[in-house]
Amino acid sequence: MTKQWLKIAASLAVLLPWQAQAELVIDIIGGTEAALPIAIVPFGNEGPTAQIDISEIITNDLANSGRFDPLPKRDLISDPHEKAEINFKDWRLLRSEGLLVGKVSTEDGELHKVQFQLFDVYKSQQLAGMRYQVPAGGLRRLAHQISDQVYEALTGEVGVFSTRLAFVTEVKGADGNKRYALQVSDADGANPRTVLQSKQPILSPSWAPDGERLSYVSFENGKTEVFVQEMRSGRRNSVAAFKGINSAPSWSPDGTKLALTLSKSGNPEIYILELASGKLSRVTHNSQAIDTEAVWMPNGKEILFTSDRGGRPQIYKVSVDGGRAQRVTFEGSYNSSADISPDGRTLTMVHGFKGKFYIAKQDLQTGTLQVLTESGRDESPSFAPNGRVILYATEQRGKALLAAVSVDGDNHRRFGESGTDVREPAWSPLRK
Amino acid sequence: MKNRLFENISAGSFAIILHVALFALIFIGMDFQSTTQFAAQPKVDIVHATAMDEADVLAEMARQQELEDEKRQQEQDRQDEIDKKLEQTEQELEDKKQEIVEQQKQAELEQQQRELEAEQKQQEIAELEQQRKVEDEKRQQVLEEENKQRLQDEERKQKIAEDLKIAEEKKLLAEADAKAAQQKKRDAEEAARKAEEEETLRLAKIAEEKKKAEAKAEHDRIEKEKRIAKEKADAAAAKLKAEQDARELQMQESLATEAREQEATRVEGVVNKYVSIIRQRVKRYWIKPTSAEQGLQCTLQVSLFPGGDVKQVKVVKSSGNALFDHSAETAVYKAGPLPVPTDPKAAAKFKQFSFNFKPE
Repeated sequence: MTKQWLKIAASLAVLLPWQAQAELVIDIIGGTEAALPIAIVPFGNEGPTAQIDISEIITNDLANSGRFDPLPKRDLISDPHEKAEINFKDWRLLRSEGLLVGKVSTEDGELHKVQFQLFDVYKSQQLAGMRYQVPAGGLRRLAHQISDQVYEALTGEVGVFSTRLAFVTEVKGADGNKRYALQVSDADGANPRTVLQSKQPILSPSWAPDGERLSYVSFENGKTEVFVQEMRSGRRNSVAAFKGINSAPSWSPDGTKLALTLSKSGNPEIYILELASGKLSRVTHNSQAIDTEAVWMPNGKEILFTSDRGGRPQIYKVSVDGGRAQRVTFEGSYNSSADISPDGRTLTMVHGFKGKFYIAKQDLQTGTLQVLTESGRDESPSFAPNGRVILYATEQRGKALLAAVSVDGDNHRRFGESGTDVREPAWSPLRK
Repeated sequence: MKNRLFENISAGSFAIILHVALFALIFIGMDFQSTTQFAAQPKVDIVHATAMDEADVLAEMARQQELEDEKRQQEQDRQDEIDKKLEQTEQELEDKKQEIVEQQKQAELEQQQRELEAEQKQQEIAELEQQRKVEDEKRQQVLEEENKQRLQDEERKQKIAEDLKIAEEKKLLAEADAKAAQQKKRDAEEAARKAEEEETLRLAKIAEEKKKAEAKAEHDRIEKEKRIAKEKADAAAAKLKAEQDARELQMQESLATEAREQEATRVEGVVNKYVSIIRQRVKRYWIKPTSAEQGLQCTLQVSLFPGGDVKQVKVVKSSGNALFDHSAETAVYKAGPLPVPTDPKAAAKFKQFSFNFKPE
């Protein structure tokens, strides 16, 4: 009797591990952080061929972001434009994370109907899709908007392809005189429009949070003067023309105030100007040091600025109500020209090292500093509104140009080398 | 003894004379004193009551006093003289006494000396006598010793003679014995020879019998051994067969177990190999979203077609981040068809299984 029980127990003991192992579990730890492969099929055209190749713009947007790896056109096994034309089984073999198809149709060449669909080929599911009707002039912008939708669908983050860049160009005219222009372009650097032209230097453009106004410093009147200009109307007015320096404007997050550097009291100090009332309040009171390059923290309660009060330029933080400033940067003997990420967690600045200047970022919680660029002639960093990319000015073969680096430092990109010197970039906010 | 007695008598008479003299002296002294006292007494005590003037009385009294004093002085001097004489006499007596005592003492000493000498003499005599006695004893002893020696010698001589006699007798006896022994030996030898012959015969007979018996016993033994051996062999063979059977059975069982274990191990090895391959492949195809924070984890249940094509991927436990879940799902699909073993047992494990996706 006992023996029988033992036998049964033994056989159970033998069986148990098999049963326990019945469900195999495989741990996948790590994975890669590679760019997402995506198949972008050239959009179909009905009617007169549009001047703008939407799928080309999208492909470039996604590729330039560093986050996507669009498949080469020659690898595309077919050219479907809508779901019904897709053999998902075939597309699975390409192992892309998504398949983008779409078409543009126009009857008169002016009004365009545009549609796109993004698919998960493995589940044969649509991830995103839209239909639009836009004039010919809106096709480029629409392409950027579709890029944003694809980007967001596959990365979970906000795309910044339909935002704009402001910057200052400097050209030498036929008469030998320099001409300066404040320009605004698409986020890919294409489609630049001149906002202001001057024979005198223009500096420090800053976008209002609504993306409809710019402030900047102009020397057009023989001295530094701060202006605010409306983008649509082009109307502008001088907001700060005090004695001495009037510079480095920065919009408050609510768009009602500007932080400025003024030396009307004899020494460069940070002030806050209430735009509606023109009321001015002084934030810093350090007559021994230069305090400048203010930038608002996203919470609207604090201001970051550059000061040499410690002997060398470093970034400090101070309450908008004034009071005692706290030093923020400690690594290296030169840190200036701060910008803050939209989430307020990451600081970017010009980091000087052995007489050269690089773009660096600093985690405000840990204090960890990471140098992101390599040229040594980099300046004026500006965060993209999704915080993933930093735009900055650099130099190449004696020419000033714009460049961008992903916030992880992995993806670098330069903007069109037009032959003109381009400086003082500012990335716009997201379009509302 | 006579001398002593004589000396005692002379000393005694001397003492008597001395005592008489002494008494005489004492008597003379006493007589003189009392006479003087009687003569003076009436002169002092008789009072002449005559009327006279005071000066005369006083002078008389003074004269009387002087006389009295003179008399007292004379008496004193006489007394002193007597005392002195008495003292002298006593001294002389004492001296005489002393002398007598000393003479007595001397006599005693002499007597003692004499007694001592006599004693010594007697002692010497005694000693001599003792000495003589000792010598006599010695002499006696020597005599006795000599006597004894002589006796002993005689005894020894006698004994030697006796010994010689005994030896002679012994010798004779020995010779006789030897002769007898020789005879005995001869007899014994003869007997022995005879006995030997008999014994040989007997032994031969016994040997023959023994041989026969042994032969029989040997035969029996061999027969028995043969039988036992056969029995043993049979038993051993049976046992061996049983053992072999048992071993074979056991072997078969253990082989079966081993085979099962081997099979299990083999299958496990194959499964592990393919798990590793699949893991590598899925990992390679998994592109983590940048928003994938540490601590995220999702579990997918995967079912495959026999060739390894992904039939279905189901999120059984979401990470809470849709994009993260999606990236994991896509990774599995992109990795398909997953390599699966051809071995049916191993392949069975890949029909349906799970993935755990973690960013770190």
